[in-house]
Order: sequence, then C-alpha cells, then structure tokens
Amino acid sequence: MEDFRANPDVQEEQVPKFRGLYRHVKISVKALDRIILACIAVILIVMALEMRNPGFTITFDSRGGTDVPAQNQMYGELLDVPETPTREGYLFTGWYKDHACFEQWNVETETIETDMTLYAGWEKLE
Amino acid sequence: MANPIATLQRTAAEYQKMSKKDQKRYITDLILNNALYILMLAFCIYTAIQRPNFLSMGSLGNLIVQVAAYLPMALGIAGCIVLTGTDLSAGRAVGLTAAITGAFLQRIDYANKMLTFLPEVTPFWMFVTLLSVVAIGAVIGLINGFFVAKFSLHPFIVTLSTQLITYGIILWFFDFNNGAPIGGLDEIYRNFLGTPMFYMGNTPVPLYVLYAVLLTALMWFIWNKTVFGKNMFAVGSNGEAAKVSGVNVFLTTMLVHTLAGAMYGYSGFVEGFRSGSIAAGTGANYECDAIAACVIGGVSFVGGTGKISGIIMGVFVLRIIFIALTMLGVSSSSLYIIKGAIILCACALDMRKYLVKK
Repeated sequence: MEDFRANPDVQEEQVPKFRGLYRHVKISVKALDRIILACIAVILIVMALEMRNPGFTITFDSRGGTDVPAQNQMYGELLDVPETPTREGYLFTGWYKDHACFEQWNVETETIETDMTLYAGWEKLE
Repeated sequence: MANPIATLQRTAAEYQKMSKKDQKRYITDLILNNALYILMLAFCIYTAIQRPNFLSMGSLGNLIVQVAAYLPMALGIAGCIVLTGTDLSAGRAVGLTAAITGAFLQRIDYANKMLTFLPEVTPFWMFVTLLSVVAIGAVIGLINGFFVAKFSLHPFIVTLSTQLITYGIILWFFDFNNGAPIGGLDEIYRNFLGTPMFYMGNTPVPLYVLYAVLLTALMWFIWNKTVFGKNMFAVGSNGEAAKVSGVNVFLTTMLVHTLAGAMYGYSGFVEGFRSGSIAAGTGANYECDAIAACVIGGVSFVGGTGKISGIIMGVFVLRIIFIALTMLGVSSSSLYIIKGAIILCACALDMRKYLVKK
C-alpha cells in the first residue's frame, strides 16, 4: 500500500510541472532546446532566402494608362522618378499608395520600406 | 546594488570549481537562455557590415522613436501576462482609439472632414479627445477584466471576442467615412506629439518619446510602490493564496485589465499621429509584438514575475531585430514568419528557464 502511494509522487516529481498559462504543458528541457534551435533555424533560413532577393519591388498600376515598368530598390532609397503614363481623355495627377487614390506618394521625399504597388491617379478632362 | 565586476569574478570562481560535465552544461545553458540576445547581436553585426548606415545616429534615433511608440502597449499587456492571462484585443483597441482620435482632430477646413459638426481643434478639445480615447480604451479593458474576474473565463476567449467586436465597431465607424482613411489631422495635435525635441543624426526625436518615458516611470511606480502593484503580483503567482491573505482578486484583475486598456487608448492617440492617415487596419496584430516583447523581456506566462526594465529591454530587442531585418531587405511577409518563430522561441526559452531553475 505504501509503495502504491509513493509511486505517483515520484512520477510527479519527474514530470516537470508548470503554473499559469503553461500548467498543462508537459515537456522536457531537451525538447525545449530542440524547439529553440528549430525556431532559430527557421529565422535564419527565411533570412537566407530573403537575402537572395536584394531590394523591394515596386510595381506601377497605371489603371488604364500606358504601362510603366516595375522598379527594384533597396530599403530606404528614393524611387527613380517613374515615367509619366498617358491616358486618352484624362490628366495624370500622380502616383498613389492606395487604389482609391487618397494618399499620394511623394517621389522626392518618401523612401521605400517594403514591396508595394503604386496606383496612377487620373482626372477626367472636360 | 551589487558590484558587477565582483559578481563576474564570483561566477568565474564558481565555474572553475565545476566538473567538466557541469562546465559544458553551464555554457550550453548560458548560450540557450540568451539565444535571442545572441541572435540580435549577430543580426546587428551582420547588418552593420552590410549597411553601415545601421550604426548611424539617425538609425539610433529611429529606434528610440519606434520603441517609444510600442512601449506603452507592452507595459499595459504585461500586467495581463503577470496575471497568467493575455490580451488579444490590444491591437484593435489601438485601432479604434486611433480612428476616434483622427475623427475628432481633423482640420476644420479639411475637404473630407468626417464629423463635420465638431468644433475647431483647440488645445482644450485635444485634451478632451485624449481623455475620451483613454476612457474608451479603459472601457474595453474593463469589459475584458469583468468577464475574466467574475466568471474566471480564460482571457484568451474573452479578449478574442472583444477583439472581434472592436474590429466590427471600427468597420462601422469607417462606414461613416465611406471606408476611406481618416486624414487631414490638425496642426495643434501634430505639434503636441510631433514637435522635435532634438535631432539624432537627421532623425527628429518627437515629444511623444518624452511622454513614453513619463508613462514608463508612472508604470514603474504603480508596479513597485503601490498596494495594487503588489496585489497584482500576488494574484499572478497564486490567486488562491492571495485570496486567503485578503487580496481582493476580483478588483485587482479588473483594474489590471482596465489599466492595460487605458494604455491602449493612449497608444491609439499616438498611433493616429504616427500613421498620419488612419485606416480600418491600423493597429492590427500589434498585440503580437507587445506580447512577444514582454515574453522576451522576462514577463513569464508562468505568472507573477516581470519587471518594467525587462519589458523595455524586450521592446528594444524586438525593434532592433525588425529594423535590422528591414534594412537588410527582408519583406514584411517574411517578417511575419520570423515574428512567429521569435514568439515560439521566446516561450520555449521562458519555460526552459523555469524548468532549469527548479
């Protein structure tokens, strides 16, 4: 009877017990080490994949106008001034960050931080 | 305050006394426990070699500005984590308060002004807005806190639902503006937050960095010097024991969540200025960054542990990693994968430290 009662206690001591949010977690230090190393490996692999593609791609959606070629730029650089597209019956008003043409991209001051698409703004000529 | 050199010497002496096997394990523990710091250091060195710009004063200024913007949120969420909970509604709460801030503080002559009946922005009106958004944040926190405290519901469930409800309200709110982003923010508001205090390189350090420092000092005081702060840690490490020794668990839990909500309200106020034009997606997933920063900074999910200095450290580490990665040209899509891996890694480290200590 004594042994029977002693055994579960011993087992409980061997399986590490957590409190709080981890209270149902059963894991050994060794497994945790593997998880940590795996996570670091994932981070490094993603980085290595990204390194092969230097810079960000900026595509231009001329929305019915003439096509403007995409550009590849590094982080923090200015955009090369894109050629002005033309569209019959419309006046080009600039490049915008959103499809609805609310926010204009300032070619002279704004620097590139990520991949993006710029949209041409058009004003209908009377 | 221990002398760091003496501590180091003592550690070195202890290390000499260990057996070969223990020495090896000591080194492994040291490397693994500090894995994220080592990773950050490696990123920094690599980025500095690839992009010498990374070590410039301007880059440091940029880091400080970003930390100041994300710190208040992390300070709020840390309280929930100390109570062995979490808060998933933080990002959307920031989004909602940012949208309200924007709508209240548009220029009177702005063509697409959303709420046309509002008065011209004065400093008084701006403070009213600040107080209202902090109050709105606090109400979201209060709702979270009430359900967690009253029914012992898991914060994951409660805050997930408030997250979704808040997002719905944000979308409703933007319907008034035909879904368009809110822009044209008033000069008085922008000056209150954005007036440069000084320049680091060519990066202006705006006034809200000062406010973040003041808020951090306030939180440090609350955590360390008030009865409420001590009760919070007591409830976090053992709720039952705290109850027995006379702590009002219900009130403490409610207050921790409300305080967190107020912090999100303030963050929203700043975020409105930072984004310049607030969209429905503003603030999405911010809670992930804040939670990751807390866990990196040693605010354990085990509950009842955490320091303000650790949270500051965590936010810095996370921001340094992100700035380094963006400078290296890692796209925002891959950043999400890396963020996920960092959170899992930080949690594993957190558990490992707890197990090894036992």
